[in-house]
Amino acid sequence: MGRKKKKQLKPWCWYCNREFDDEKILIQHQKAKHFKCHICHKKLYTGPGLSIHCMQVHKDKVDKVPNALPGRNNTEIEIYGMEGIPEQDLKEHEKQKANKSGTKSGAQDDDDDDDDSNGLPPMPNQFMNGMPPMPTSVPGPYMPQPPMPPLPPGGMMGPMRPMGPMGPMGPMPPMGPGQMGHMGMPGPNMSMPPRPPNFMPGVPPPMPHKPAMPPQSTAAKPLFPSAAAAIQSTEVSGSPKMSTSMKPTFPAAAAITTASSSTASSISANATITGAPVIKKPESSSGLTSKLMHPDEDISLEEKRASLPKYQSLIPGKNTIQQGMPPVSRGPPPSQGNPRMRPPVPPPQGMMAMAQGMNMQGGPPMYNMPYPGSGSNFRPQQGGGRY
Amino acid sequence: MSLFGATSNTFGSASNSSLFGQAASTNYNAMKDIEVNSPPDDSVSCLKFSPGILPSTFLIAGSWDNNVRCWEVQQSGQTIPKAQQTHTGPILDVDWSDDGTKVFTASCDKTAKVWDLNSNQAIQIAQHDAPIKTIHWVKAPNYSCVITSSWDKTLKFWDTRTQNPILTINLPERCYCADVLYPMAVVGTASRALLIYQLENQPSEFRKFESPLKYQHRCVSVFNDRKTNSPTGFALGSIEGRVAIHYVNPQNPKDNFTFKCHRSNGTSGGMQDIYAVNDIAFHPVHGTLATVGSDGRFSFWDKDARTKLKTSEQFDQPLTACDFNAQGNIFAYASSYDWSKGHEGFDPQKMKPHIFLRSCFDELKPSSKKS
Repeated sequence: MGRKKKKQLKPWCWYCNREFDDEKILIQHQKAKHFKCHICHKKLYTGPGLSIHCMQVHKDKVDKVPNALPGRNNTEIEIYGMEGIPEQDLKEHEKQKANKSGTKSGAQDDDDDDDDSNGLPPMPNQFMNGMPPMPTSVPGPYMPQPPMPPLPPGGMMGPMRPMGPMGPMGPMPPMGPGQMGHMGMPGPNMSMPPRPPNFMPGVPPPMPHKPAMPPQSTAAKPLFPSAAAAIQSTEVSGSPKMSTSMKPTFPAAAAITTASSSTASSISANATITGAPVIKKPESSSGLTSKLMHPDEDISLEEKRASLPKYQSLIPGKNTIQQGMPPVSRGPPPSQGNPRMRPPVPPPQGMMAMAQGMNMQGGPPMYNMPYPGSGSNFRPQQGGGRY
Repeated sequence: MSLFGATSNTFGSASNSSLFGQAASTNYNAMKDIEVNSPPDDSVSCLKFSPGILPSTFLIAGSWDNNVRCWEVQQSGQTIPKAQQTHTGPILDVDWSDDGTKVFTASCDKTAKVWDLNSNQAIQIAQHDAPIKTIHWVKAPNYSCVITSSWDKTLKFWDTRTQNPILTINLPERCYCADVLYPMAVVGTASRALLIYQLENQPSEFRKFESPLKYQHRCVSVFNDRKTNSPTGFALGSIEGRVAIHYVNPQNPKDNFTFKCHRSNGTSGGMQDIYAVNDIAFHPVHGTLATVGSDGRFSFWDKDARTKLKTSEQFDQPLTACDFNAQGNIFAYASSYDWSKGHEGFDPQKMKPHIFLRSCFDELKPSSKKS
């Protein structure tokens, strides 16, 4: 408790309990999030200011501060940054912080972080990441739910949810930009065993200082370019679906036979695009109604476009994509694959011959100049001359 | 001497004189950049500058008109059409060989070709069961190959001389985007699967990621660590106006984040339009990045400072592809219809494809602002 005086609590927003590194940012947040007129988007300075603006300018009654927690949406209370917060709430907030240090209330919801429609989220703050604001006796995973009752020291039983292989990530809110990282590393490479649901350390482990899951991400994570490490990690992951069996020794041209590969893919290809799922509507953030400018089907624009007759007609022998690829079971059908597979040219020699200075005259129709350099070296010296 | 350099006025003024009297629509060149001569006849699917090893700069563009075109880009901004090659279907991706003598092309006709620029000959090198979405050339110490990925749910490795792939890896879904920066390859597929491959010795799956994004993957670009100069992560763009910066092994879990982009600001009746991120390119010198979107804008970003460096004016049609040249002083981007509003949104009379070149070295400098 000795450090309490020294460590200043971070500025926080009374309306939504979110913490900020700087009061200036807090004020920006409040103006964008809580004091913005929903009609003309003018940013006011206080809740009463917003209320008066709407009444006078738009003849519209605003009796709740937007995006505020229940009970904190009073438009009468004049709050600007940290100024004007009722004493009682201030104390309560401090108390909560003291109890669940290492927590960040109002976890960064990136759909929520600002009103700017295009923007990068703020830099993560070292303070928030690492050290809790003050020493604490509460260990274990950190709880993002902002309004938490003070916890008894030594553990927390009630609100804790079972932790699967995600470890402490279990109860995270779904969207923090940083936290995405953790979720991006599911099962396979976990080095930590899943903890039992009622995991309740009696001794404060080093956990609170690094709230998220550093043990997993640092331990047993090889650096990327190391081949040995990579092999190790593939072994660890042993991902069932992704065909470890599909890997022949690489430089040896142990090619999968055309037949087998095309059967495999035709099976999958048949199951493709038909009945593509519909893209879900984007969640509205910051009170704006959003519209995704994309066709409803969840297929890529290129797939949609390539299926058009205009582009189909240019491709002889190509079935429409919607019907799926033709189930090719005996190698590429003669109409498609083989004739174009340049059998006339014995591959290696052909390539070499051409690479060495056979300069084809009367090149392409559009630019009747062959590629720069007429010899073996690709030296575009005749640059600007002709055009 | 470079007119693409920082203090060039010539560059800007050159673009003001419309050489072709093609001022068809008002915002077709919203940023008053230099137009590439003789652009493709249909939408531009991909742009790639030649590697820095060549004494001059070349730009390759693949198009839905089935053609791949090559221009020489002079330092004055002048573009000279050099050659073109044709597939029997729209081109979806192109890549250069490391020595700059060849271009690899991937098409909806399910084939990939190598185009030898010296001889202007193109030869088929790969075959899939569905259109090929991406193509990349890899030069490893102990092998070199072309990697193709397709909507037939496979990733195939070709040595360009034999008819069969030397390696086939099944993907969980149709490939929507991929990027390769030896020794790392990233593949994004339908149903939001995300796979990392390591390419050293024998290519193998390195890790499967849960997607940091909630919507369909659209584009991905690998970036280098600034210090070690080796691939350390990637930027992934989705159709929901959002880009994820993702490290393969983040030092700190908070290193990974997503940011919003290519959205309207919602001033029109409180309705916010969210557009797809069509392409991402990293600046070769500064490590900053550019995104282009269906909203018809490009933006420059500093992922380390987490700030936006610049957003363009809005073009009258989507921006579909972009790239930086090897020196990092030219930003090429293409405006053309990307089908984001379906067939109804297409007006072939008004939506003529364009490719623009922008002098960009200073605009991409990392933010000096401490945050």
